[in-house]
Amino acid sequence: MTTNHTHHDDDHKACLALFEKLSEYIDGETDEVTCKAIRAHIEACPCCTTCLETLKRTIGFCEEVKEVPVPAGFSQKLREALKKMPPALSS
Amino acid sequence: MERKPIQTPDVRDNDTELVTAIQNGATDRFEELVTRYEGKLYNFGLRVCKDASDSEDLVQETFINIFRYLKDFRQETKFKNWMYRIATGVCHRMRRRSKYAPERELSLDEFLPQDLADIDTELPAWAAMPIHQVLNRELGDHLKASVKELPPQYRLVLVLRDMEGFSTDEASEILGITPTNVKVRLHRARLFLREELKGYFHDNQPHTS
Ligand SMILES: [Zn+2]
Repeated sequence: MTTNHTHHDDDHKACLALFEKLSEYIDGETDEVTCKAIRAHIEACPCCTTCLETLKRTIGFCEEVKEVPVPAGFSQKLREALKKMPPALSS
Repeated sequence: MERKPIQTPDVRDNDTELVTAIQNGATDRFEELVTRYEGKLYNFGLRVCKDASDSEDLVQETFINIFRYLKDFRQETKFKNWMYRIATGVCHRMRRRSKYAPERELSLDEFLPQDLADIDTELPAWAAMPIHQVLNRELGDHLKASVKELPPQYRLVLVLRDMEGFSTDEASEILGITPTNVKVRLHRARLFLREELKGYFHDNQPHTS
């Protein structure tokens, strides 16, 4: 079966090795040499480009998830519960 | 020999003044801390606990513990990091009580493409379009539900790193695990979520308009 790209086994190995490091790469936590090698590979490899971009987007979604307000009445309930605490602080 | 001074992380922030004041006896100002963080902790609870009711319990128990132990907090780290350490501890105890969400390991192999032919070389629309055109309420809800599907030890790392905005070192400190472990769990958690998203978008194409 033919595929729509020109990888051979060595490249495949490089892809798999890179797959493990993608998050570190995105987070800027790889050392400079590794970072350069990864960038060079990705620029030449459409599979890894897709892999990188979909992972980045996954992170992007997580970062954009909005907070919800606390339920009505909860703040009041919480403060009442905390008022019942003994004054344990200054000892 | 000239030596650089040891770099201590800068732990002073917006909370330092208030926390110090409370430690020095201004216990009436504790409510300011509650006002400052109840929403943050409640949302953290929604992301890591079973439901909204557990999340309320998490907030309350966390503040009770803060109130009790604040006098012993030595400000060697940011107050916020210390607070999240307490909150994750509360979360662990609650989970043991209610026996939900079993621990299991995610292995990298689960996410490795079996065959190169399986990998898309074309960027899917959900990753190519501007994020705010794709991220609607329904997707947000789906994402939150997917986060809950993560085994707890992975979920906590993902929530702290990608939703609450803590660094690798901070997450490591909060959870009491090594930075390497944070990175390993984070990567697998993200891959897990990506698979969930792929499934979601397989059934729901984003509207390209
Ligand atoms: Zn590749």
